[in-house]
Amino acid sequence: MKTTDSNNVQNERVTPPFRSPVTPDEGELSENELWLNMGPQHPSTHGVLRVVLKMEGEIIREARPDVGYLHRGVEKLAENRTYSQFNILTDRNDYLASMLNNWAYCLSVEKLLGVRAPERAEYLRVIVGELNRIASHLVFIGTFGIDIGAFTPFLYAFGREREMVLDLFERLCGARLTYNYIRIGGVMADLPDGWGDQARSFIPHMRRCLKEYDDLLTYNPIFLDRTKGIGAIPKDKAVSYGLSGPNLRASGVSTDLRKDEPYGIYDRFQFKPAVGTTGDTWDRYFVRRLEIEESLNIVEQALNSLPEGDILAKGQRPTVRPPVGESYAQIEGARGWLGIYLVSDGTERPYRLHVRGPSFINLTILQEMLKGWKIADVVAILGSLDVVLGEVDR
Amino acid sequence: MDYLSRIGSDAWALFKGFRITLKYLFSPAVTVQYPLQRLAVSPRFRGALAFHEDTCIACEMCVRACPSRCISLEAKRNDKGKKDLLWYRIDLSRCNFCRLCEEACPTKPKSVHHSPHYELLFGKREDFVSEWRRGKSSGVTDSCVWRRYLPVPDRPRAKEEKPG
Repeated sequence: MKTTDSNNVQNERVTPPFRSPVTPDEGELSENELWLNMGPQHPSTHGVLRVVLKMEGEIIREARPDVGYLHRGVEKLAENRTYSQFNILTDRNDYLASMLNNWAYCLSVEKLLGVRAPERAEYLRVIVGELNRIASHLVFIGTFGIDIGAFTPFLYAFGREREMVLDLFERLCGARLTYNYIRIGGVMADLPDGWGDQARSFIPHMRRCLKEYDDLLTYNPIFLDRTKGIGAIPKDKAVSYGLSGPNLRASGVSTDLRKDEPYGIYDRFQFKPAVGTTGDTWDRYFVRRLEIEESLNIVEQALNSLPEGDILAKGQRPTVRPPVGESYAQIEGARGWLGIYLVSDGTERPYRLHVRGPSFINLTILQEMLKGWKIADVVAILGSLDVVLGEVDR
Repeated sequence: MDYLSRIGSDAWALFKGFRITLKYLFSPAVTVQYPLQRLAVSPRFRGALAFHEDTCIACEMCVRACPSRCISLEAKRNDKGKKDLLWYRIDLSRCNFCRLCEEACPTKPKSVHHSPHYELLFGKREDFVSEWRRGKSSGVTDSCVWRRYLPVPDRPRAKEEKPG
């Protein structure tokens, strides 16, 4: 008798199974269509992204990206950490460009506090920020080549040139990926001896290597066949989907926060944002390749005009208590507009924090872009958007 | 005709690609044979945390600075009103290698700091935790994991730079 009772209780407790909106349903298919799951363990999704594809033969009729596999609740974690403690978690959002994450967060806190970093710290921020942008784009060039089927550029871009940038960062702050270098009111440490010369010698080397990448990848006929004219985003659609960064510039929209709303000291440097024409996969690749050159120019100018002075604002303590209020600071991240929104209630911990992750917003256009292309183009189109799933899922 | 010119341009691209490969075939390798050869880490490298009980004043600044509660300690006031450290525990499985504890440490030289050791291998979860405990008979008992296997890291950075 007891067993029947407990069985009844169990039956009552059964809740209807949770259905995610991306879950494929047989009923939605017509006669010659099928659902195909790409990911979350697919190597070319650069992390854990699942794309549910409705296929007709090898043509994609519908795509549903499924994100959230890497969700860590960073925005909630911020509410339980002091302002300087949270800096290390911004490292882990977009882990390929940690410096830029640090920078956006520190700018937002500095806005709340009304503090400005000293002159030398601003220059150091520009130098490390641009070097990190180069490192991030080098990962893109390497992994995008692998997605298309070119393995060699990966070994050069990811394994050699990026390592040089990481070595510079290791000498500067002791870490190779999660730097925690840019701090509220300045930077962590000054340059060690000989760092400037090492960074200067990297610039001509990188320029030489870019020519090699052109021979190996950029103008390779197989690469061009796989990318030219594939997955083009028209200008108006790119704007209406809120794309930013290289993805938007590839569509021919010349926007760059470093030019449009110069933060820090970007108004002192001469550079031209790289702009594409058609917004196809090759343009998105080429804009990033051109951006490396622009970043090298900025690093060179900053190194040449680096002033002496403090690296941290005077009287800046690790524990800060900003006044009650809210602030939003955005920078041109490696993937687009990276913004941090902060609400302070006057205590040493943020009341609310929100990250405008460019990868997440750039990914929303994927479902629109993939329609009508073949299954082999999914990898090229997804790779060219250059999303970092750590930032998408946060 | 298109077909032929395509073949020609493809062959030229292939040649250009292989020219680079050939160039690097005869240039020195950038890799090292890892277990036999090692690259030196920079002086500021943030490796495993090291603790020195001789200078620690049990002020708990490192405990408060740590974002992930990696460090814990207990101290007791002695007859003179000063704090005596009873035990100091570092749980490396929680460590973010962020250097905040090192910057918070007020002693000179630093009592807690990053060492250059990056080869961290632990077989069990308990091994991540290393603890220093004031012994009963011999005064100081040393039980730090990295000290068991590695020489005690010295403190180069206390002199080298001021905390940023």
